Amino acid sequence: MNIPVFLSAILCAALLTPGVAPARQPSDAATNSAPGSATYAASNSRSGSASDAASDVAADAASGSASDATSGGPARPGDVESLKQQMLQIQDGLRQLRTEHQREVSALKAQVARLHETVADLQKTGACRPSPAAGAHAATAATQPPVAAQAPFPTTDDSVVAAPAPFPTTDDSVAAAQAPFPTTDDSVVAAPASSRATAAPPATSLPTTDSSASAAPATSIGSRLAQPITLAGGGKSFLNISFDGQFSAAASTEKHLDALEVGDHDPQQRGFNARNIELALDGAVDPYFEGFANIVFKLDNDAETSVELEEAFMQTTTLPWNLQAKGGQFFAPLGRVNAQHPHTWDFVDTPLVSGRLLGPDGLRGLGLQVSWLAPLPWYSQLSLAIQNGNGAAAFSFRNRGDGGTFYGRPTMDRSLEGVQDLVFVPRFENSFDLTPTQTLLVGTSGAFGPNDTGAGARTEIYAADVFYKWKSAHSEGGWPFVKWQTEALLRRFEAGRGEGDAFPADEAFDDWGAYSQVVWGFSKGWTAGLRGDYLHMEKSSFTDDPERQSRWRTSPNVTWFPTEFSKFRLQYNHDFVESDRFTGSSDADSVFLQFEFTLGAHGAHKF
Amino acid sequence: MKQLQSSLIASALLLTIVSDAHAKLEVVATLADFGALATQIGADNVDVTVLGKPTEDEHFVDARPSFVVKLRNADVLIEGGAELEAGWLPPLLQNARNDKIAIGAPGRVVACQGIRLLNVPENVTRAAGDVHALGNPHYMIDPIIAKAVAQHIAQTLATLDPADAAAYQTNYANFATTIDARLQQWGATLAPFKGANVVAYHDSWPYLAHRFGLTIDTFLEPKPGIPPSPSHLAEVIEKMKAQNSRAIILEPFHNRKIAEKVAAATGARIVDAAQYPGALPNTDDYVALIDALVARLAAALGGQ
Repeated sequence: MNIPVFLSAILCAALLTPGVAPARQPSDAATNSAPGSATYAASNSRSGSASDAASDVAADAASGSASDATSGGPARPGDVESLKQQMLQIQDGLRQLRTEHQREVSALKAQVARLHETVADLQKTGACRPSPAAGAHAATAATQPPVAAQAPFPTTDDSVVAAPAPFPTTDDSVAAAQAPFPTTDDSVVAAPASSRATAAPPATSLPTTDSSASAAPATSIGSRLAQPITLAGGGKSFLNISFDGQFSAAASTEKHLDALEVGDHDPQQRGFNARNIELALDGAVDPYFEGFANIVFKLDNDAETSVELEEAFMQTTTLPWNLQAKGGQFFAPLGRVNAQHPHTWDFVDTPLVSGRLLGPDGLRGLGLQVSWLAPLPWYSQLSLAIQNGNGAAAFSFRNRGDGGTFYGRPTMDRSLEGVQDLVFVPRFENSFDLTPTQTLLVGTSGAFGPNDTGAGARTEIYAADVFYKWKSAHSEGGWPFVKWQTEALLRRFEAGRGEGDAFPADEAFDDWGAYSQVVWGFSKGWTAGLRGDYLHMEKSSFTDDPERQSRWRTSPNVTWFPTEFSKFRLQYNHDFVESDRFTGSSDADSVFLQFEFTLGAHGAHKF
Repeated sequence: MKQLQSSLIASALLLTIVSDAHAKLEVVATLADFGALATQIGADNVDVTVLGKPTEDEHFVDARPSFVVKLRNADVLIEGGAELEAGWLPPLLQNARNDKIAIGAPGRVVACQGIRLLNVPENVTRAAGDVHALGNPHYMIDPIIAKAVAQHIAQTLATLDPADAAAYQTNYANFATTIDARLQQWGATLAPFKGANVVAYHDSWPYLAHRFGLTIDTFLEPKPGIPPSPSHLAEVIEKMKAQNSRAIILEPFHNRKIAEKVAAATGARIVDAAQYPGALPNTDDYVALIDALVARLAAALGGQ
């Protein structure tokens, strides 16, 4: 028997017999102290266990010696006798204690003998049989992993990824080895192992997600069904609807603001104006077309509501050879500002040159447009629009004019007799990224068609536009930025003698004009703008139309966008109208406060 | 002569087919995180073009006309979906006239497909700021989700270019293995800060919070997209002091001065963070970006 085994045996024994060792000490104390103290102390040995008796003896001895010391008197003859009897009693007690002690010793010897046997057994099995308590402890320790090997950081998460289907590893099934990717996936679709091994699916259709388990039932791959264009609002409707209300308060030194402002959506009177309350709809028609509509409500100066079908057209999505076609009522692609809706303008009002040469409503109408994106490394698009070119929205063309007169001439009713009576609007535009933060877009366009001032009278419009934008590479919400936009238009208007050659002379007006504007988005939500306008109308000895007066305008403004859905704009205009043969020059100062809100789907920003 | 002609035509046709088969796939990614994954999965078999800059606000990328050309030439478009690019992608696609990336086409990867988005609002109202009706779209910052998106990309590339399917599979597997391994490290690095309160300028970090057990529910913006007001910032400062918040996450395009004021008032650290690889130094791929984010967060939270 070696020493460690013996020591562990002792330990085991101690644990196995918890009651033995503590019991020994009082009895030892009794046997040791009793003989010494018995000489001085008298005690009544009471019945009870040996240890009880011993402790009583010890206690009495202590108290007895204390009381003797305090009483202090000499011993008498009667006392001697009683002392003898006490001595005898003590001797009896001692005998009792000795036998008790011997019994205990023999019991302990027997225990030691048993322990020796146990140790011998243990040496045979070689393991320590644990006590029940120690066993429970060990079991807990066994289930707890070592600190170093804690549960790994999770690498999959069903709560965020609906279908965490792994690629097959190289030792996967036969099917996986044949097809590049599995077409069945045990983690999302339960499939018996045997069928998985035999199924040889085509390699083309590969599930990327399990739509049944997917939280976002978006488009499924391979589907060709019509989907709504998702601009905003959840993508679960077939139609994006938005409503834009634009109002302005106007103050001006000019009494007749509608004579000063040139656009139909501009403020038309002092006080409050509601000239462009717009309902916009768009969406995918089917896999081949998208549809758009803008319907404008406005209040005239007598607070009468009028409705205008500004735009409604369909546009192809899938024509080959980089072609795209649209048809319906739409803005002609002439210049830049013409095709923009008022709520995207950077100023309260229309540039002079657009309002006077294209008309208060801009150039738009019923027709068709085809555009071709040239197969070049930069953006280069050629487009041609063909429109009826009649009515107020085709101001310079077959337009009956105001009360049947245009530039003083009684207008004819030129009905459409052939292709030559349509308005043709070609446009060629190119864009270059000057740097990662600077973009340039240049366009040239024209519009050609008949007008109503004579049987053979025609109008030609030529336009050039430049748009430059810098936007910070660290832009927040689109800010900061600088935009520069300039357009120049030249219109050659053949003014005939009108209905029945009533007007005294033919004239050809070469009218032209330009505007240039800079808008600086200096802080998130804030822009400052400055625009300069000039319009040259060729002088005429015959026509006293005030719309034919040359003029210029300066417009600084500041705009605050609380969000992209609301806007406040303060603008000042200084107008100067030049004198002509009939009218003197005049100045006007105006201030506008424009406010706007947008509800519903938020249309994306075109460049 | 006729035979020669026909054989010439045949060989020309064959050449075209062969060269087509080995032409690289043109992949356009709306944002740099998708671009980084596409580069990782596609490697030499794809040309990747990213539209938005990694440092700019992803909701307000300009729809530059040059993007129309890129989309016109694309075989694959990877977009985030869930209104992430709603402000600028639709007009580009309307003009791109490219069938290959039309909705539902194999080349159109809507990355949020199959992802369970967090914070889907019960009621959609803009009174709550610029909320996203489909849920928070800034999900790519969660490496587990990035893995799923990488798989989506790999499967799309393999569908369109079966000849290189094995390469895409291998690249995906390597990416997934890397992510799994790095997650252990990232998790361990941030484990001491479990439950820590972190403040962000904008609510674009719920997926990071979800993954690493951080609490990111205090924002310098009073509502998403609404600029911080002085009264709101005062509340934020009080809350940060009460919660002992030690970090403010700031993206490259946010107003640093405001964050610095709050940091000075609370003793918190500004963590210059980004959602897009390339926005921080030496973060050209996805793993490097998360590495940098985790390291920066741990440094700020640990007070180093």
